[in-house]
This record gives sequence, structure tokens and C-alpha cells, in this order.
Amino acid sequence: MRSETFPLGFRLMDRNDAELAEEQSIVRQCIGGRQEAYAVLVRRYQEMVYNVAYRMVGDTEAAKDIAQESFISAYSGLRGFRSDARFSTWLYRIVMNKCQDHLRKERPHVPVEEMAESVASTRNNPEQELRRSQTIARLQSALDLLPAGYREVIILKHMEGLSYEEMEKVLGVKAGALKVKTHRAREMLKKVMKEEGILDG
Amino acid sequence: MDKDKDRELMHRLLDGELSAEEQRDALRRIGSDPALKEEFELLARTVRSVEEAERVPVEGSFVSEVMARLPGQRPGTARRLRDFLFRDRVLRWNVAWAAVALALVLLVTGGLFLTANRLTPVVATNSAGNTVLTRFTFHDPDAEAVSLAGDFNRWSVKEGAMKRKEGGLWTIEIPLKPGTYNYMFVVDGKVWVTDPEAGVYRDDGFGNRNSIIRVSTL
Repeated sequence: MRSETFPLGFRLMDRNDAELAEEQSIVRQCIGGRQEAYAVLVRRYQEMVYNVAYRMVGDTEAAKDIAQESFISAYSGLRGFRSDARFSTWLYRIVMNKCQDHLRKERPHVPVEEMAESVASTRNNPEQELRRSQTIARLQSALDLLPAGYREVIILKHMEGLSYEEMEKVLGVKAGALKVKTHRAREMLKKVMKEEGILDG
Repeated sequence: MDKDKDRELMHRLLDGELSAEEQRDALRRIGSDPALKEEFELLARTVRSVEEAERVPVEGSFVSEVMARLPGQRPGTARRLRDFLFRDRVLRWNVAWAAVALALVLLVTGGLFLTANRLTPVVATNSAGNTVLTRFTFHDPDAEAVSLAGDFNRWSVKEGAMKRKEGGLWTIEIPLKPGTYNYMFVVDGKVWVTDPEAGVYRDDGFGNRNSIIRVSTL
């Protein structure tokens, strides 16, 4: 087996110090009443927040609302933002909470045991040839079949490239427990994707 | 090795948590067992499909929509008064409101200021020597430099250099005699931009529209 078949690449998510200092300065300005400074942070993180929301709830309209509300909540709570923390970490926490609220309201939690059944019931269209251009939707359909808690760790770990330590700060769960959860989430996603034929070819 | 241990090994390998030596052993172990190898390849492909997932683009109006929905500040009285006097005035018009406003203007001024529905952020601090200190603002956080060019500076790209403030807001204050002026913003010395917040526009004859500002002593 060739080593390049292993996905060991890491995304370097560390923002440089200058950017961190700039963000702290922007936060201070917002607290001081210069509301317009906040636009810089919204512009910088809009794609991140929107995509996390979209992958969590699987609906672009709901994702937009959640993303906007996340930025508004973050703004309202700026005074409580610890200056030694990363703004992005804080945003992740806010958007994840909003997604969980949304999912609690919108649909019942599907227990893990029922997953296999729901997967099986979606396999009634074997002829359907899913094209490459539908990758986003196909991945989403697989993610949608995971319990929200599994989807959450998959998104933070593999889409956002966070370390387990960063995920601990976002989710308020110990890194060790998150590791185990991520392993299980990956196993389930693998199973779902395999059964859905997403991993073929 | 039992199945659970193998599984944990694969996940730790995916997370890059193994030392060089452990990694070598793990790869050897996985490679020696076809079932294990297949399982690991599926797992690796699963992770990769998530990591390589495309980002869904955000609508262009997202930032302005968020900014419009932010809760208002509660500044002190002095600050509020100052803001009232000096704030950047951005009005959004539709046809109905424009008609109402025009009617009001006609009513109050008897048509004297027929084209005076200025919307550009303007601050008339006072008329000194018959000139009015007029502020122009333009929002573009990505610009390196922005200047104000118009009738008043013979459309010079260099004279009206604007100052950048936080959030990518560019401003300049210039003394203008009462009158009507054409102007545009010049971004990075080459891109001519019509003021999106100007209330009145006029074709410049070159395929662009100039923004119009009318300055009057209040």
C-alpha cells in the first residue's frame, strides 16, 4: 500500500498572530460602540458559519437564518467574549448551539439503532446514477443520516480541520471523549456512504 | 490483534496520532490483511470525501443583512446628539417614497430645490467664508486607496485622497461652495465607482454615471 493513499494531510488552521490581534482590536471597537467594525468579522467568517450551518441542518434557507442569527448573537454577547479566546472558536460554539436548537425543533432525534433501517429505506432507487456534480448533495444526504452529535464532530474535525483540543473548547466536551465519538461517527458515516453507493468509483 | 484494537489503530492513524515507528507497524499490519486493508481504504475515502467537500457559496448580501439586523447601541446623550448631527445618512428609496419626498420638497421650498434630494453622506458643519465642509464616505474594505474626484478638483485622481477608517470606511471632508457638483470615487487609482449612496445621478457621456451632490448653506 502506497503511503499517499492515506489521508494524513492536516489543514493548517492556525491564524497568525497579527490576525488575532486585529480581531481583538475589532472586538474592542465594537464594544466601544463602533458597530461598523463588526462587518470585517462577518465578512471574514460568513462562509465558515454558513457552511457549518448548512452541513448541520441540510437546508440552505435555514442555514442562512442560523448563520445570520449566530453573528447577531455573537455581537450581542461581545462583552462576554474572552479576549484570549479565538473569535472563530466562539463563533463555532454559537452556530453549533443554534443548529442543535433548530434540529430539536424541526425533527425528532433518530436513535442510532434506527439508522440502518432508514438507510435501507433510502436504497429503493438502485438505477439512479449519481453524477459527480452532485457531490455536495450526496455527501449531505449521508451526513443527514447521522445523529446530529456525530454530524457535529465530523464537520468540526474534517470540514473545519479543528484539533480535538479546539473541539473541546467549542463543544465543552473533553477531547478524549470527542475522539471516541469521532471514531464512531466516522465508522457510521463510512457504513452509510458505502450502503448509499457514495464511495463507489 | 482483535477487531476493536485494529479499528482504534486505524482511527489513530487517520488522526495522525502515531509515532513514525507506530505508523510503520500499523501500515504493515493493515497491509497484511486484505479485509482490514479494504476497511481502511473505505474509511480513508470517507474522510477524504468530507475533507474535500466543496463549500457552498454565501449570498452577496449576507454581510449587509447581518449589519442591518444588529441591535442598536445605547450611547449617552452627547454621543447621540453628535451622531444625529454627524452621522452618515443612508436612505433607501423606492418610487413611492421618492414621490412623497419630492412632494414634500416642492411643498416646503416651492420647487426651489427641485434636484436637492441629496442622499450622499453630507455634513454641513458650518458655512465659513461661504463654503460648507462636506463629508464624503465610501465603503470598500478591500481597497488599497480611494480618492474623490469631481468638478471641484478638476477630476483629479490624486488630490482627493480619502482616509481609511476601521471597517474599510473611506472618508474625506472638503470645503465646497454652495452649488451642484458631479463626482465619483476612484478605487486603487484606476476603477471609477459611482457613489452607491448618491441620490441623484447624471450620465457622464462616457457610459458611466456621475454622482451628483448639491451643497447649500442650511
